[in-house]
Amino acid sequence: MTTPFTNSLLFIVFPYLAMFIFFLGTIWRYRQSPFTYSSLSSQFLENKRHFWGLVPFHYGILTVLTAHIVAFLLPRQILRWDSQPFRLHALEVTGLAFALLALVGLLGAMLRRLTNSKVREVTTTLDWMVLLLLLVQVTTGLCVAIFHPWGSAWFAAGLTPYLWSLVRFNPELAFVAAAPVLVKLHIVMAYVLIGVTPFTRLVHILVTPNPYLWRRPQVVRWYRSPREIA
Amino acid sequence: MKSRFFPMAFFLVCAAPFCTTAQQPGNFFQQNCSACHTIGGGRRVGPDLKDVTKRKDRAWLEEFMEDPPAVLHKRDPYALQLQREANGIAMPAVPGLTPALAEALLNYIDAQGGAAPPPAAAPSVAERLFTSEDLAAGTELFQGTRPLSQGGPACISCHTLGTMTGLAGGRLGPDLTLVYQRLGGRQGAGAWLTAPPTPVMQSVFHQHTLQPDEILSLLSLFEDASQRSHPAAATAEIPIFLSGGVLGAALGLVLMGWIWRSRIGSVRRTVLKAAQRGAA
Repeated sequence: MTTPFTNSLLFIVFPYLAMFIFFLGTIWRYRQSPFTYSSLSSQFLENKRHFWGLVPFHYGILTVLTAHIVAFLLPRQILRWDSQPFRLHALEVTGLAFALLALVGLLGAMLRRLTNSKVREVTTTLDWMVLLLLLVQVTTGLCVAIFHPWGSAWFAAGLTPYLWSLVRFNPELAFVAAAPVLVKLHIVMAYVLIGVTPFTRLVHILVTPNPYLWRRPQVVRWYRSPREIA
Repeated sequence: MKSRFFPMAFFLVCAAPFCTTAQQPGNFFQQNCSACHTIGGGRRVGPDLKDVTKRKDRAWLEEFMEDPPAVLHKRDPYALQLQREANGIAMPAVPGLTPALAEALLNYIDAQGGAAPPPAAAPSVAERLFTSEDLAAGTELFQGTRPLSQGGPACISCHTLGTMTGLAGGRLGPDLTLVYQRLGGRQGAGAWLTAPPTPVMQSVFHQHTLQPDEILSLLSLFEDASQRSHPAAATAEIPIFLSGGVLGAALGLVLMGWIWRSRIGSVRRTVLKAAQRGAA
């Protein structure tokens, strides 16, 4: 992962390719089968483990994802916040707590799909692929946070300029090319997840308004086989 | 025609970043090499490059300049000797150093070899003794409580010092406890901070250069750290950090269980009971 060619491929070509697939794929899927823009709930089949898997996962991952987006959009404000060691450490510990919530929830969701025969029956290969990709992504993110602190500061100082250089079609690879392997793996996995979004249940991220987080509990019943829908 | 547009545009978008522009060797040397090297001005972190082409053949020099880590990885004896002479510091890969530019740089070094004073000499750091105010200012700059005047991020983002306690500094970059000694004291470390030669530092600080008074304060801090401490173990802060995270996550789970304590526990059982009530 260290040659200039590999770096260019992974951190210039790959992100553009992932975004290209993401935009075209999501538009194509919406035009082809708009009613599949869903995560295909399995809540009706089993609800107890569903709660302890999906709720911690979603609150954890959405908070961590939002933190990444804020560091991308408002790097100076993040660096200003981090200018007091106590605030920096508090932010990092909070981020780690939410990342751990995401990991606990994800492992819970995977265990549920493995052990509950009814839920296993409606689980497709693509569902497993998404879960495994998310597991790798959350685990590498946790490892980066633990072994290469302080991510909130160096993301804002080094990775944000790299991401903006991609947006401006003038990629600056120096920071990311010299980053540790764990950081590189985390970035590449993010591009993979963006690229597979249109073809998997991850597409439900795009359904707006998205009331999953605050709506009252509801029961979902299917009138078709989930395998047909997927 | 329309269907061909997207692949062509996509190819151009992807290919554009690989194109590079020509750069003057003198400017390139000043921006990328002068922190560690002089041409006839004596040794810094790296060797004085005067007459370098007489000491080693051009083919080897160009290969080394283009990718020093690769040559070191091959256990090349001369490259290893250079690393030993530089207190173990390996020359980093220099971004944008193409084969053509490497050749032009060697020509430039040859041409400058006899000149005095060397035009590519890095600015020197003030000679006065460090004061307690310098040390206090250096500590504040390192931790970020005093912002760098040009807007650069605080050192704590990526670096730590053996003198720091608690969760300490970052671990993306190297521990800087002994950096003052490794870079050859005040002049060597000062030159390094004036024009950082590593790709990461260049990318972060090329638009936020450190000012002379800030460099002096940081040097004071680094000298102090090197005299009264030693690098902390790379994993020293992990148990504290991880404990905080686990505690926070456990609190989150308890909070979720409490907030949604009246949720539907089992959908099928609830539906069945409702159906049974209906039947009765």
